[in-house]
Amino acid sequence: MKLRSALCLGAMALPPAALAAPETYSMDPQHSFLHFDVAYGNGTSKLSGRFDRVTGKFVIDRAAGTGRLDVAVQAASITTGDVDKGGRPHSRDGHLRSPDFLDVAEFPTMTFKSTKVLFKDDAPSRIEGNMTLLGVTRPVTFAVDHWKCAPQPATGKMMCGANAYTTIRRSDFGMKFGIPAIADEQSLWIEVHAYRD
Amino acid sequence: MEELLRHSAVQGAAAPFVAALLVVAVLQFVRLGGLAAAAGFCVAVYLISGFSISPLTATRKIVLLGVAAPLVGMLIDFASKPTRIGHAVLGLAAGAAAVWTFFGVLQQKELSQALLVGGGVAVFLAWLVVFGLTQSENSVRAGAIGLGLGAGAGVAGVLGGSALYGSYAIALGAGATAFLLWQMITGKRVAAGATFILPATIVPGLLLAGTMILAQLPWYTLAGFALLPLATLLPFPEKAPVSVQATVASTYALVVAAGACAMAWYAAGGISG
Repeated sequence: MKLRSALCLGAMALPPAALAAPETYSMDPQHSFLHFDVAYGNGTSKLSGRFDRVTGKFVIDRAAGTGRLDVAVQAASITTGDVDKGGRPHSRDGHLRSPDFLDVAEFPTMTFKSTKVLFKDDAPSRIEGNMTLLGVTRPVTFAVDHWKCAPQPATGKMMCGANAYTTIRRSDFGMKFGIPAIADEQSLWIEVHAYRD
Repeated sequence: MEELLRHSAVQGAAAPFVAALLVVAVLQFVRLGGLAAAAGFCVAVYLISGFSISPLTATRKIVLLGVAAPLVGMLIDFASKPTRIGHAVLGLAAGAAAVWTFFGVLQQKELSQALLVGGGVAVFLAWLVVFGLTQSENSVRAGAIGLGLGAGAGVAGVLGGSALYGSYAIALGAGATAFLLWQMITGKRVAAGATFILPATIVPGLLLAGTMILAQLPWYTLAGFALLPLATLLPFPEKAPVSVQATVASTYALVVAAGACAMAWYAAGGISG
């Protein structure tokens, strides 16, 4: 009885931050994707696509209100659903991988590394950082519009899911081909599903 | 006017052609009419993507070399007499430039693959430059080489998956066309020299190599284009009017270019239905 009381008193004496520690989550590559859409045809239509190979980690410390996100995207994993060139010299996906756009042979990886994560009500609301595309690094901010963590029902392992979006100008990264017929501005949004390490 | 300048046919062909024609017309009197090819290329770069050197990607290195080539050419034409050793040195330099251009991609490959690809493009560029320089004193043959390589590399670029490289090459071909056309109209030859032939061989050569390494052009297409300079050695009516000479030489070059493009077309799957 005395020992139990002593332990309880000892625990209450500890500062709350010492009880919470940064949590590291690794993105599940089968459930994490980077999507984009861009207007083309001088604004008459909008094309959507995604990058199928996304890996990364995020670290979150709710008590301290800090976090960090590192994402790597394989540029060659882009898909817009047009892979069969038919009678054309190349498919749209093939053209997007060429030096005209993503130049995947020279720059196989796009990255985002956060510099600051802003919280609102204990959840990340904005992620500021640097995106590197075609060898050019520019500051980019993602707005988080969905965040939830819960134990995985089957295994009990902690998992978190998030959606975040931003807008970039591809010319800022040196990708100028086709402007303005293919818009300069692009929307990007990332869907993340990650498990705690 | 802005709308017109955004059109791909204007950016890649019409504007470069007009600019090159002006360059020939004005600068021929100071033996710099050979700048026409480089002028066509530079106009296309300006209109399509602008000049930028950071970061120094393979594409930007091609543009840099396309700007440097006529400057080196002018130095050679005005400062020294062409020699075989000089041609060989320039050929080696062109080969080294090709490896430098694509080094970022080559270093990502397995060593054996990097040596094969890098060595292949170096030899290709060196060959084009050395042979081109031997024809640089004949403005009609030189013009035909520029036209064939430019137009051919343009079509091959599009077939190989890069409309950007295709546009740049067609622009250079348009510049070479203007160079030849001026001579056909006036009936008088315009000095070509290294000022013309260096950009006329280096730029399309690098664009073809780039389309192979960075896009989907098969390697054997480059082998086809390597035959193009030889085509201008075919029987040639040396005493005929310039217009006839230019027509014959251009036809030879374009036939070989068409053959090389046919290989690219076949590799791309041709037309269905």
